[in-house]
This record gives sequence, C-alpha cells and structure tokens, in this order.
Amino acid sequence: MTFRCAAGLALSLLSLVSGVDAFEVTLPAHERIVLDNGAVLILSEQHDVPLIGLEAVVHGGAVTDPDGLNGMASLLAELIQHGAGQRDAAAFADAFESVGARLRASAELEALRISADFMARDAELMIELVADMLQRPTLDEQEMIKLQTRSINLIKAAKGGDPGELLPDYGNAFLFGAHPYGNPVSGSEETLAAISHEQLLSYYGDFFGGDRLIVSVVGDFNMEAMKERLTAAFGAWRPAGAELPELWAASRITGRRVLLIDKPGATQTYFWIGNIGVAIDYPNRASLDLANTVFGGRFTSMLNKELRVEAGLTYGARALLQRLSRPGAVVISSFTETARTIEVVEMALDVLGRLRRSGVDDDAALSARNYIMGQFPPRLETAAQRARQFAMLEQYGLDASYINDYGAMLEATSVESITAAIDDVYPTPENVSFILIGDAASIREAVAELGPLTEMSIDEPRFRP
Amino acid sequence: MSLFSELRRRNVLRVALLYVIAALLLMWIVRRAVSGNWVPVWAIEFMLLLLAIGFPVALIFAWVYEITPQGLKKGVDVDQTQSIVYKTGQKLNAAVAVLAVLGVAALVGERLLPEFELVRPEPVEEIPLRPVYDSSELAGVPKEITSYNMANGMRIIVWPDHDIPNVVLYNFVRAGGRNEYPGITGLSHFFEHMMFSGTTTHKPGEFDRIMETAGAANNAYTTNDLTVYQDWFPRAALETVMELEGDRLQNLAIDPDVVDSERGVIYSERRLRVDNDNEGRLYEQMLATAFVAHPYQFPVIGWPSDIEGWTQGDLESYFKTYYAPNNCTLVLSGAVSPEEIFLLAERYFAPIPAQPEPPPVRTVEPPQLGERRIFIDVEAQAPLLHLAFHAGRAADPETRHMGLLLDILAGGNSSRLHRLLVEEEEIAVSVGAFQMEGFDPGLVYFYLTLPPGADIALVEARVLEELTRVAVAGVTRAELQKAKNIVLADFWRSLATIEGKAAALGRYAVFTGNYENLFSAPEEISAATAEQLQAVASAVFRRENMTVGVLGSGDDALDVEQ
Repeated sequence: MTFRCAAGLALSLLSLVSGVDAFEVTLPAHERIVLDNGAVLILSEQHDVPLIGLEAVVHGGAVTDPDGLNGMASLLAELIQHGAGQRDAAAFADAFESVGARLRASAELEALRISADFMARDAELMIELVADMLQRPTLDEQEMIKLQTRSINLIKAAKGGDPGELLPDYGNAFLFGAHPYGNPVSGSEETLAAISHEQLLSYYGDFFGGDRLIVSVVGDFNMEAMKERLTAAFGAWRPAGAELPELWAASRITGRRVLLIDKPGATQTYFWIGNIGVAIDYPNRASLDLANTVFGGRFTSMLNKELRVEAGLTYGARALLQRLSRPGAVVISSFTETARTIEVVEMALDVLGRLRRSGVDDDAALSARNYIMGQFPPRLETAAQRARQFAMLEQYGLDASYINDYGAMLEATSVESITAAIDDVYPTPENVSFILIGDAASIREAVAELGPLTEMSIDEPRFRP
Repeated sequence: MSLFSELRRRNVLRVALLYVIAALLLMWIVRRAVSGNWVPVWAIEFMLLLLAIGFPVALIFAWVYEITPQGLKKGVDVDQTQSIVYKTGQKLNAAVAVLAVLGVAALVGERLLPEFELVRPEPVEEIPLRPVYDSSELAGVPKEITSYNMANGMRIIVWPDHDIPNVVLYNFVRAGGRNEYPGITGLSHFFEHMMFSGTTTHKPGEFDRIMETAGAANNAYTTNDLTVYQDWFPRAALETVMELEGDRLQNLAIDPDVVDSERGVIYSERRLRVDNDNEGRLYEQMLATAFVAHPYQFPVIGWPSDIEGWTQGDLESYFKTYYAPNNCTLVLSGAVSPEEIFLLAERYFAPIPAQPEPPPVRTVEPPQLGERRIFIDVEAQAPLLHLAFHAGRAADPETRHMGLLLDILAGGNSSRLHRLLVEEEEIAVSVGAFQMEGFDPGLVYFYLTLPPGADIALVEARVLEELTRVAVAGVTRAELQKAKNIVLADFWRSLATIEGKAAALGRYAVFTGNYENLFSAPEEISAATAEQLQAVASAVFRRENMTVGVLGSGDDALDVEQ
C-alpha cells in the first residue's frame, strides 16, 4: 500500500469516527392520541414541502384469514379500493388519481395497510377517501368476483415470471406449516376461489373496526385542525365484532426437510434455506442486525462474496430476517444455473456453518456498524416514510426509543453480543428447511440427498404441498 | 549539602532537561523521516530504545564527570575552587533554550503548514484556489445548485441539501446498448460489473469493502443509452467515495480471471431477467423485432454468444473510449458544499486525461413500412401481449405530450385502457405503458397480462380501437388536467429526496444538455394542450408503425391468426 492510500485510509478512519458521532436519527416531535373508540392517532408536522404522508393500519392481516380461505384479507384490501362511500369503483379511482395522489391498500401478514401520499391541499378529500374505504366500503359482490378472478390470474401470471418472487409463499407455507405465518398473503388459486361474498362480509364485520385502527399522518398541516379532522373521520367507527386470535410462537424445525417445486424447462434453480428465528422485539436486535449485515445483508456479505463475487455462480445471494410480533423466518435466498444447484446450495450451507462456528470479527462488526448507521437516515427522509415508521412502532407496541436509541445500541454491541445473537437466531446447517424451484427432472436426484423430499408442480393451485 | 543541591551544582538536572528536549526533537525528525519513506518504520522504535538507554548513562556521566579547562575529569579529581560547573551550566541553559525554540518552531510549523510534508508532493499549485463555477441565472432554478466543467471535460453538478446528513452521488457515463454492435452486445452492461472489480491500486473486492466500511452503499445500472453509477453515503465518507470513484475511472484493472468469473455472474443475471421470466423474454424479442437498423435492437444484457465471446482487446478499447472524463457527468446531492466537491474533484478526477469524443451513433432507424408480429410459443398459464410503436427522443417536446397521454391511457385504475379491458370487459388482468426516453428515437410500449384462454385477437383489437379513438377524437379536458396533476405531483415528490434530486438533475443534464431544463418541466407540463396530445397520438399510433408480440402456448397462436 502506498503512503497515499495509507493516509487516505487514516483520514477516512478519522472521518468515520466523526461519522459515528453524527448518528442522530431521531423521530421527529409527534403527538399520540387515543380516541374513545380505541383508534390511535399519531401526528407530526413537517413543513419543508407541501406534501402529506398518511398511513392507516388495521391490526389483523393474513394471519386472520379463515381456515382454507387464504387471501381473504388481501381480497378485502383490493375490494375497499373498488367502491366506498358514495363512489363506485370508477369514481373512487378517479377521485384520487385526478389530484395526482397515491393511495393503495394492501394486506400483510399482521395488518391491512392503507398508504396515501398527497399534496397538502388535498388533505380533506384524501382523509374522506380513507375513512370511506375503512368504514363505508361498498363490498359489491360483482366487484368481488371480478377481483377474485383477477387475483387468481395474477398468481398464474407470476408463475410464468421470476420464480424468486414466489419463494416466500412456498417457503413460509412449508416452514410454518399450520401456523398462520404460513398463510400465503395473497392466497392461492385454490383458496381465493373458495371465498364467498357472504364470508367476506362477515370477515369484514369481525376483523375491521375502530379498536384495531392506527392512523399516522406526517407532513404539511396544522396540528389542531388535523386532530379535529381525524377525530371526526375515525372517532365514531364501531369496534370489530370478533376477538383478534392470540398468536403463538411457531416452533423451530429440527432436522432437515426439502420441498422441490417443479418448473419444467427452468434453466436456473431458485432456492430458499431457512428456519424460524426471532420476533421484532428481540432484545439483542442491534447485534442481530450487525450479524445479518455481515452474513447476507450487503454486497460484501459472506454469502454474496462467496457465491457471487468469488465463484461467479449467481447474480446474488442474501440473508433475510422476518420481523413480526412472533418469531419469523430467517432465510438464505439465492439462485444458480440448474447444473450447479447442489454445489451452490452446499456452498451456502458452508457459509452458514462458518457463521455459526466463527461468528463475526471486530473489523467486520465495525464495518457493518458504519454501514447500518450510514444507510439509516435516508429511510426517514420523507413524510410518507416517517408516517410509515410511526405506524409500525405503534402496531408492534414499540416506543420511540426503538429508533432513537438504536445508534447507541449499535455502539454498545460487542463480538460477544453478536455471537449470542447468531446462536439465538441462525439455524445450524443440519436443521433447515429447503425450498427449491427448478427443473425437477434435472435436479431431483441430487436434491433428494439434502433430506426427506416432498415434490409438487408449480402448476398446482396451492403453495402448501 | 543536600543531594538535590549537589545534583544542581553538578548540572545533572540541566543535562536531564537538555536530554529530554533533544530527544523530543530527535523523535520528531525521525517521525517525519518515516512518513516521508526515507527510513523504515522500525526506526521510531529503535530510536526510542536508544534514547531510553542513553538517559541514565547521560545522567551518571554528568554526575561523575566535570568539564574543566583541561578537559573532562572525574568530579572527585577536580579542585572545587577551580571548578567551572557554573559556566558549563550557563552554556547548558543556552543549549536548552536553543533546542526549545527549535522544538516550538517545528511544532508550530507542523500545525500551521500541514502541507509541509516532504511526503506528498501533491500538485497543490495546480488547484485553483477558487474554482470557477456557476449558478444558474434563470428564474426558477434554485441558486444553491452549482455546476462546474473540469479542464478534462468532466461535468459536475452539485445540489446541496442538508435535511439529512447523507449524500447521493451519480456518475452518468454516456455508454449503453446504443454504442454496441454485433460481437460486443452487452459490453456496456458487462463494464458496469467490471467497474467494481479492482484497479491497479485496489485489489478485486477492495472497492466495495472500503466503501461499505465507510458506511456507503453503491450500485449501478445500464440502459440502452447510459451506464449510471450510484453511491449513497453518510457525509463523513465523502472523500473516500470521491477517491474510489476517481480511482476506478483512472486505474481500472481488467483482470482476465475476474472477467471469467463475471461472465458467470452475467449469465446468471441473464437467466434471471430474460430466460426464466416470460416478460423479459418477450421484451427482448420485441426490441429485436421493432428495430432493424438502430442498436436499440440489442438486449442490454447481451446476446449469449457475445457474453461468451468478448476479448480482452474489446474490453480495453471500450473502457478507453467511453470511460473518459469528457464522457461522464457527475451529480451530487445532499449534505455537501460545492466548494468541497470541486476541490475533491480536482484532486481525484483532474489527473484523468480526456479522450477523443466517442464515435457518434450514426444509424437512424428507418421508418417502419408495415406492422411486425412475433409469437413466442411456451407453456404459460397467463399469455402476454405487448405492442410497441416508434416514437421520439427524450429531448423532443412531443415526448412530454406522450408522457401525459400514456397516463390517460394506462396510468392507473381510472385510465382508459385499465377501465375498459380490466374492469369493464375483464379481458385483461393488467395493462401498463411506458416510453423509452433516450438519445435516439425510441418506442412507446404497452404491456398486458391476459387471463388463461384469453381471446388475444380481441384484446389487441380493443387496444387498437382505443389508440385510434384517441388519435381521432383526442382527450377530454378533465383527462388532461388529471394527467397534468399526476405528472406534476410525481415531479415534486421525486424532488423531495436527495436521491430523486440527483437522478433528475442528471437525467436532464444528460438527455437535454442542461440540468436547468429540469426546472422548466412544470411549466411545460402545465402548458400542454389537448391538441398536442392528439397530434402525438396520430403521429405514433399507426398500424404500419407497430410491432405486436404474444407469448403463450400453441393454442393461443391460432387465436392471433384468426
């Protein structure tokens, strides 16, 4: 190394030190109000641009899909955008698109979410639309049937698209089994087709209501006027008709099991290796974030370095952590050409074994810490992002310290705390569930060596084998 | 007589003080010598050891010996009435004073003149103290945006924004699919990968390692027109990022081993985006069919035989031609000042020599003489229908009108095609549209996903009816207003982040020749008329200007021919 580089490095190390000091991502000032019906409002003024971000969350989501009716929450999320209040589907779309606003409802595992992003001058209209969607959806039967058919066809189309997109649906269904986290959020062709209009209406009555609602609004508005407006819009909504079912922690799988999804003619195999990890409130989360960044959370991660940068066997390899109210999946995900499938799967397992055995050294931990800190501020840059963050904290019963103390928590991590997180969260290579989508005829024999094999075709109208 | 008085009388204390000051001075000199690479690093430890051993020796020596006019004698042998220890003491005082002054001078000199390194003969004198740069004179263009043309032709644009302590850097390189020809298709994209793969000063992997250690993330993408490099980083990483960006433009190493490994990665990317994705497959064939002459016909990822076939020579000449500073536009947005960017640019980019302008893309796609059709026969549960029409360049005013028109036709759930095909007739699952906005005339593109067993011919007929209708009858005032509101809101939304600011400035700078044009966009959008939208519709939506592509299984093919 020449002196210039050494000096440059020393300089950048110095600037890193100051960069660490400068980590001051704190949530902006905000007010939290609980209305009489239990709805929670969170408001924060931000006047730099004339925009407002609004996030409405209804506790529940796909985990409350009735048995055999996966996709119910998702279908409902689509349907409330197709007619609400005095507006039919066409008028509803026209109302917000005409003012250049964005408005979207979607289901997640543990919530139904409405995200809106609009000009400050359109606040009255947009709050009216959101209130109508939640409290006065038309829920027209013909619209429902149309959306049901379309949702089924979108799944069929997705099966001809990038198979990587489908891995989480197959993966969670196989890993969680009967636990609600195994529900495919958008449903399957089979379960979507089984939903009747009557069932949908009763689901709406049971699982939607003011006591389940969080509305978070950030942007260019007057606090008092907005409080009044939101209270008027959501304060009178009835409570939901049924109790939210209590979720339990799914148990980790022991040993191995393999699900092979046959996509004849695929020239690449897409795979997912995982087990069950920890929940969103895992106390050692900063150490876990560091471990996952080093393991599979960035370009120079152990997985990407080994499988892509050094071996050139894939375009990418990464590790994912599902953060939910109960322990979610911890997963390795990648893909490679059909003929190299087993070689690359074994490489990924080797890297996992190495993480478990050797942990993360000081240099890697320092680098990952800087990386996480350096990449954090843009995640809370816009009003819409902040509204989403507030809603997420409220949804999971977390307070502002979850964000505000994060920098200090990262600072306080050590090689030991990271090792503890790795032991807590990542499975050993002997205890994992494998999901592979690929050309079964070419890889079946080799894949069977991994563990007990279950096989299904991508054309089957379900994600659970 | 106390020991202390005797120590003083024999000048032992003075010698100790003198020794310490001289030692400090000596260590300073050794340190400078080490940092100047004149002596090895271990010289510091060696000298420390020597000085430590010497200290007690000097003290004992001072205690035992005295300087006399006759020379050095043991103290006990000196007649104390003749002793000159007092005079020697004064000489020692003077020496201490001189050395102390030298020491202070050295320290002050070092503080005040950090560049007084014999170390780094930086071409300081070449850096203009106040770089010449400009803010726009135009009304409506934020004054804080500053641009700067370097002597080697590199253009730099800076938009300071201190809302968050982060910075975004985009380097727009004017090299893309349009600069390729048969044999080297995909080379622009391949270079996008090679630019992360090591230089003569940084081994493979170092670029990303150093960057991520400094808290920065990076990526890049390649289009038919450009290769764009992106860095997202905390302010503190600014110099590191600028140095690394300059280094890879100046010192890229095209290591044959890395080339081979990256070929594998690119193949995997090709399988991901094209071979195993029906949309990607059809899109590749559509471009190859719609263009018969212009290089927009080549897939950005490259034809497989070319991915296999690039030679070291191809790579080297491509790099020299296209990765020249005069072919790059650097845009930074975020917590920076223009002054520091221009100074860093002079340090890290100025040494890169300009190259002759890359050869122009001469081929102009000739007018299409009749509709073209392709059918890809694969097992697909949901068939796909794509339609493409030749249209304009990014810089053409008509492209703005087409953008508004596409919002009216396929921009959301209230758009004409969505409402008709997806909601009312339910003959399509989804419909979308975009236009290629590049240096050369591109395509207006519609993509539809159809339900299993769809009547593809019917869907195509319906789309064409709608396109004809808008060409003949135009759009309503309400539709036009809606489209303007959508485009304007998206415009302002995109400028709410430092990421969006860098992307937008760069796009306008590159495609229209001047970033200032970004700020006339709202006015141009507001000024668009229904007549202009109708005019662009009737110019573009013509059968003989159309390419139609279908992906589906054999049964669907019969449908199309009916």
